[in-house]
Amino acid sequence: MALLRLLAERESYGYELVGRLHQLGLKQIQEGSVYPALSRLEREGSVTARLVSSSSGPARKYYRPSPAGYASLADSEVAWTTLVRALEPILSRPVPRRPQEAKT
Amino acid sequence: MNPPKLSFGDRLRIELAVLRIDWELDGRIPWRVRRRLKNELRSNLIAATESNGAKSAVSQLGDLRALGASYLEIYRGRVDARRGAWAAVITYAAIQVLAVAVFLAFQSGIVAGGGHGGSYELLAGFGPFQGSVNHGYEMEILSPAHLVLMLAAFLIASRAWRVLPRRA
Repeated sequence: MALLRLLAERESYGYELVGRLHQLGLKQIQEGSVYPALSRLEREGSVTARLVSSSSGPARKYYRPSPAGYASLADSEVAWTTLVRALEPILSRPVPRRPQEAKT
Repeated sequence: MNPPKLSFGDRLRIELAVLRIDWELDGRIPWRVRRRLKNELRSNLIAATESNGAKSAVSQLGDLRALGASYLEIYRGRVDARRGAWAAVITYAAIQVLAVAVFLAFQSGIVAGGGHGGSYELLAGFGPFQGSVNHGYEMEILSPAHLVLMLAAFLIASRAWRVLPRRA
């Protein structure tokens, strides 16, 4: 979902997308997990790709969401928002030092 | 501004990483897909090298074998030619081991009978179990039966029938 969202904001190639994730604070995400994820999204038809020539080597493959990708992104965002809203009342309560004893 | 030029060492490191990943895919996914993946990996590694150096670029890929396996999971073809090739090689080795056992049994028979050599044949002109015992010995290295059995092993292990169009 995060990849699709970032690609919806600006088309990117693999390494550039990793850099954008790192800039957002997700520094623990490695290239080795993003590249296959992009391939999977392309295989599923959620993104389309185009090659753009590069001065430093082989052409770079830029990805952007396909119409199916936009639909999938909208669904994922609704599901994520629903989940966060459902968990928020639980997670906002303070954690007691020890759980309450069960009544016997 | 022009990007910094990559050194020979950087390029070598990048190529070795790409080859390591490609090794996992060899014979298992269509070569067009492999070529596309290799080009994409190479271009991303070059971009990463320009920013952080080749060593860091490659290490950021994580376990190269696992990365290859991830791609394999996505693009695995219906036919596994590599598995088929291994099955053919193992079949050949098994036939040769069996043929040596047949030869030794034949030689023991000759020695036990006080003979002075001779020839043996099983499936004459076709099978691998033919040879002769004189001062030394001769055995079939490759026979039509070898080829038939190796082909059968290849077809079964690679699931080559999956090339055929599926029925609707």
